Amino acid sequence: MWTTMAKGSAAVEAAVKQFLPPCQVQCPINEDIQRTNVLISMLPDDPEMAANGIIQIGDYLYNRNPFFTVCGYVCGLCELECNYQSKGGAIKRRLLKRFIADSYTYHLDKKDEFDLIKHKENVAVVGGGPGGLMAAYDLSKRGYRVTIFEASDRLGGALWLIPRYRLPEKVLTSALDNLTRLTGVDVRFNSPVGNGRLTLDKLRNEGYSAVFMAKGTPTPRTLTFGGEDVKGQDLSGVMYGHTFLYEVSHGNIRPNYFRGKKVVVIGGGNVAFDAARTARRLGGETTIVCLECEDKKSKDGIPADFEEIRGAWEEGIRIIYSRGVSTIHGEGERVRKIECPKCTSVFDATGFNPQFDVSDRIPLDAEVLIVTVGQGPDRMALHQDNLLDERGRLAIDPLTLQSLNREWVFIGGDLRRIGFMVDAMRDGLVAAESIERYLRGLDIKEGRKRDYEPQDIPLRRHYMTEPEVLWIPPEKRMHFQLFERGFSLAEAIEEAKRCLTCGPCVSCKACVSIGIQDALSAVEVNPDRCSGCGICTSICYYGAAQSRQDEDKRRSVTDMFKCKSCGMCVVACPSGARKLVGDPMHARIEDVYANLSATIGG
Amino acid sequence: MEYNPNIVCFSCKFGWGYVGDKQSGNGSPENWVPVVCSGKVESTHILEAFKAGADGVLILACQEGHCHYQDGNFQTGKKVYLLQKVLETFGIEHERVRMEMARNPEGDKIVQLVKDMKQDISKLGPVRRF
Amino acid sequence: MAEKPKVAITWLGACGGCDEAIVDLNEALLQVADKVNIVLWPVALDFKYSHIEAMKDREITLSMITGAVRNSEHEEVAHLLRKKSELVLAFGACATLGGISGLANFISKDDIFNWVYRDAPTVVNPQGNIPQTAIEVNGKQLTLPEMYDHVYSLGQVIDVDYYLPGCPPPSDLIATAVNAVLSGDLPPKGATIGPRRALCDTCPRNLRKPARIEIKEIRRIHEVEAEPDSCFLEQGIICMGPATRGGCGETCISINTPCRGCFGPIPGVEDGGARYLSALTSMLRAETDDDARRVIDSIDDPAGYFYRFSQPTSILGTKRPPQATEG
Repeated sequence: MWTTMAKGSAAVEAAVKQFLPPCQVQCPINEDIQRTNVLISMLPDDPEMAANGIIQIGDYLYNRNPFFTVCGYVCGLCELECNYQSKGGAIKRRLLKRFIADSYTYHLDKKDEFDLIKHKENVAVVGGGPGGLMAAYDLSKRGYRVTIFEASDRLGGALWLIPRYRLPEKVLTSALDNLTRLTGVDVRFNSPVGNGRLTLDKLRNEGYSAVFMAKGTPTPRTLTFGGEDVKGQDLSGVMYGHTFLYEVSHGNIRPNYFRGKKVVVIGGGNVAFDAARTARRLGGETTIVCLECEDKKSKDGIPADFEEIRGAWEEGIRIIYSRGVSTIHGEGERVRKIECPKCTSVFDATGFNPQFDVSDRIPLDAEVLIVTVGQGPDRMALHQDNLLDERGRLAIDPLTLQSLNREWVFIGGDLRRIGFMVDAMRDGLVAAESIERYLRGLDIKEGRKRDYEPQDIPLRRHYMTEPEVLWIPPEKRMHFQLFERGFSLAEAIEEAKRCLTCGPCVSCKACVSIGIQDALSAVEVNPDRCSGCGICTSICYYGAAQSRQDEDKRRSVTDMFKCKSCGMCVVACPSGARKLVGDPMHARIEDVYANLSATIGG
Repeated sequence: MEYNPNIVCFSCKFGWGYVGDKQSGNGSPENWVPVVCSGKVESTHILEAFKAGADGVLILACQEGHCHYQDGNFQTGKKVYLLQKVLETFGIEHERVRMEMARNPEGDKIVQLVKDMKQDISKLGPVRRF
Repeated sequence: MAEKPKVAITWLGACGGCDEAIVDLNEALLQVADKVNIVLWPVALDFKYSHIEAMKDREITLSMITGAVRNSEHEEVAHLLRKKSELVLAFGACATLGGISGLANFISKDDIFNWVYRDAPTVVNPQGNIPQTAIEVNGKQLTLPEMYDHVYSLGQVIDVDYYLPGCPPPSDLIATAVNAVLSGDLPPKGATIGPRRALCDTCPRNLRKPARIEIKEIRRIHEVEAEPDSCFLEQGIICMGPATRGGCGETCISINTPCRGCFGPIPGVEDGGARYLSALTSMLRAETDDDARRVIDSIDDPAGYFYRFSQPTSILGTKRPPQATEG
């Protein structure tokens, strides 16, 4: 079993020329996807032997991303940009991370606390969701004394919205609890900052030199039609998706709560589907109504992930596209039915501006109405904290996340802009860097803007189709256990091997880290020997060997960012004009042959 | 004197033991050249092996479709196939160059494969040199 | 008046084409002939070996030797001229690389004799006579040189100062070589006179190659109508150009014939055939392994293609001659 080292020659280099594999460009925190894919592919076949390697890979991922175990269940943004998509299917990176997470979640409880020296200032983080926690993690490692002020009685924020059938509770709690334990971050529960006891100014006076605000968006949006709130949202049986999911996560909803009831969920995003599939599992006959249309490629396409739509459809949830809600009818105090006019357009040049054909409306029975049309921040509090500009928008530098009104306040996560969990995490990392620069008196903006360029797919003879991901049959899914089967060791190795390692060597170095080679070698072309025959260009799978025309001569050159030092061009060159500098192979061959001749001669 | 053929073995570190030169505990093969990708093995190396006195060359490459560098193993496969024909003309039997495409992450099968090839080659007798 | 430098030209295991190439210098030859004193040229002049033997060591300024070393006479003459010359120029592919005769190294001397003197269909040799190195006739000893069982290049037998590649070397290269000697402007010892890059560097078809050459089928030159403007490799025709030193003026390419490699490998490459083999297979594009093998199987004589001129100086073809190298 190998031992991986991350330091020294094996450390990933900063993307010098901004080239990265497309998955890493897409990942908001630029996780070392390629490197860890290669490490997984090099695990031994024997599960006992592989256990050590899995922990090593987990440690490497955890070092930068303490939520990677959660990502393995809920993220997968990288797969949307994977070069393999068009050739057989994106690499199932999320399941690969889940494979590591399945072991690492338990290891986390035993992981030793970080040996941190907190000699720098006190920093307050407002909000214990993924954004705040990520900032706290990073700042602690940099030596700051961080205190998290969490309004509720538990950390995790919007992560608790995610249903248990997608994210097991153990994975979430393990990630949350261990993050604060390993970094020694101080957490104050039931401590909302804003109106009331704790304010930003108070924190300042208590000695916090900087504050990162990542309070999230607790306020669900109400259902509107024609610019006005639809009446009847206060009827019994009408609830908001977020509130509903939070209650479920607290364990406050008994099984079969909706048995025999007609449940209608309004909304077309992932959260609406979470609500719908949860309602279904609670026994409800569930329908989803959304403004958007079925064609995901159109401008009005439904935003929910295809997997969610497929899952919902399999579980017997009816989806009604392109409809809004104009009226809620009650019977006494309870909701009874709704009216749904046809939505002819959702977005136009001005943005979100739904248009309806009110002559085409259908009635829908609804004994439970779950409104999941988005959420927004607590604007009042932001206004009172003087964080808004004259137009009522957040006054913030989007590059550094620093408030434009109060330079010691930094804002991120859903509070700044609604996004995925990993977007909030990214904001946490950006804020941590900004806070460090601010408190250390460094230029807060220099070098922060990075535009990465994705590398192309390497060529090869045969591309392989993605593995089939197995889900429990829908009729057996009516519970809150996971329904997706993860990878076994053999499957994980196989899928990790499918990764084409599109990105440059300097951003990976997996091979160096486990001792396959001592250092990356570099291809050198001897211009005196190169005849411009172009054979190296014909064979290079990475587009690194290129022909350059200089007047009437062709010469070959190597693009160092695409080159993998695989040596194909060196072998193919009929003039012997290319060589790999730093490759010990030739010396080894000479030794072996010299030895051989000596043995035979002697 | 019994004919004890000398086999030069090239093995890919990605598929045949990523611990590289460190031994897997059951002895290391003699005349062993671990390489990063079997695709790096040149025709020149194989010819020079015979010139240095080898009786056989064994190339252990990764299995079909699993080359870390896309198709390095396929390239070597083609090379070996053509080189075998050239070697026959030189009077060196094609069985003396063998290529295996498989996966053995621990590298613990290398020694046995070299032994097997030694046994097979010994039936051919020493290399006939013109 | 200073004495004119002495020049010797001779042929060992040769076809005479190199001598033709010298004659092809035409008027230039007359100018050269004026400046030198040719002391040996069996094809054209009537000097004998004894004349050479009578000379002092290093009396001859330049010996130009063509042909490979196949029998004992070749070797003796090579040693003789080396002894009597300041500079020895290996002239032509046979002297430089071993030449086409080198292909005979793929079979044994016995097999050759059996075929030529016994088994070939048109042989009439009832008494089974084969050449002998010595025989007595009427009390006198008649000898023939011994045919070796291996063809050697000149450089493997004696110490060579310069090499002139080509089958035959083109006239301009010959003129360059001779003038360099006469003017004293000599390259370093052991150099081959000619450009340092492969033929593709000067080939007119090179710049029209596609970005990636993909060979799906291999054809022999007589099986297709070769496009006169596209690279042969692109058309699936084996052209040794990429692994062959340039400098010939693309005489073959310009008559729509692929290069056969007579200029040998480029400097620094010991075995051009082996490098070419790797280059060729890397351009082969096949969907399945079986298809790749099928295409490779269609190459009827790979060793012949890759080592047509260079077998004796290839990695496996090299052998030490019976007599030690003198120089």
